Amino acid sequence: MDPILALGSVLALVAAATGLGLAWRARQGRFTEVAEAPALTPADVASTAQFGAEATLVQFSTEHCSRCPGTHRMLAGVARSRPGVVHVEVDLTHRADLARRFQVLQTPTTLILDRTGRVQARVGGAPHKAGIIAHLDDLPGSRHATLAR
Amino acid sequence: MPLLPAEPGTPAAGAGAPRPRRPDLDPRGPRFGAGITAVLLLVVVFLSLTGASAAALSLLVVLAALFAWGAIAGAGRHPWGLLFKRFVRPRLAPPGELENPAPPTFAQGVGLLVTLVGVVLGLVGLAPAVGIAAAAAFVAAFLNAVFDYCLGCQLYLLLVRSGLLGRGPASAG
Repeated sequence: MDPILALGSVLALVAAATGLGLAWRARQGRFTEVAEAPALTPADVASTAQFGAEATLVQFSTEHCSRCPGTHRMLAGVARSRPGVVHVEVDLTHRADLARRFQVLQTPTTLILDRTGRVQARVGGAPHKAGIIAHLDDLPGSRHATLAR
Repeated sequence: MPLLPAEPGTPAAGAGAPRPRRPDLDPRGPRFGAGITAVLLLVVVFLSLTGASAAALSLLVVLAALFAWGAIAGAGRHPWGLLFKRFVRPRLAPPGELENPAPPTFAQGVGLLVTLVGVVLGLVGLAPAVGIAAAAAFVAAFLNAVFDYCLGCQLYLLLVRSGLLGRGPASAG
């Protein structure tokens, strides 16, 4: 191939990879509202801990996940600072069944459950703290939502 | 400010929650290395496209060997990582947090697999495979370096889902 053409192909490869990266980044940490999901129990996510009285943050991780420890720290910090909110981390490494059941395609993936255990929102990738807090505030029946009314 | 995450108050709650890890890797190290690797992989693609098959294959062999080094010795002991520690890190502020070396080490294994396929096909005379393997590995290394995307993490989860990895319940709860 002509060197100029080869150079053009190489640049096109870089451009394609950049486009891929931008598309991936735009989707990172984005919240999806989950409509009408059945209520979960701690057993559903192989958790021995109880769910929170106000809300539960269920984080799916694996042992090979560079952003899971940071997400764990952030979510655990949010749970500590808000009474009634519990953070549960679920390692999918040995629970492929849970990965399939909850259709986890990337780690971390975080589910926000309301007080009844219903999934209200879902975040793929490392979530932003402000987004998590805003969602907790907006959960049906949360103290914040009641006060706002 | 402590660098290491201390979570004494909240032990991981899930039954199979990951055991406490000891992150000890500056996450910018593997990204720096991925940048160098990405540039070299791009050179392989260019050489392959211009018909310099022997040169492309030789460079891909070198890169496969480097991936093997990272996969076997661990991402923290990769030659680019040593370069980073020696010349780059002293000029940077301390990292916001440290990383577990397992994911980037797994990613090195993925890189080894992809480049090795290219090398083997190149050796049996399928010259275009060298460029194609290098292009595939380039995309992964580039996304890692520029966007902090962890292909190893993604593939690991997909392998777990498909039942090829992490089969069976956790041995230690």
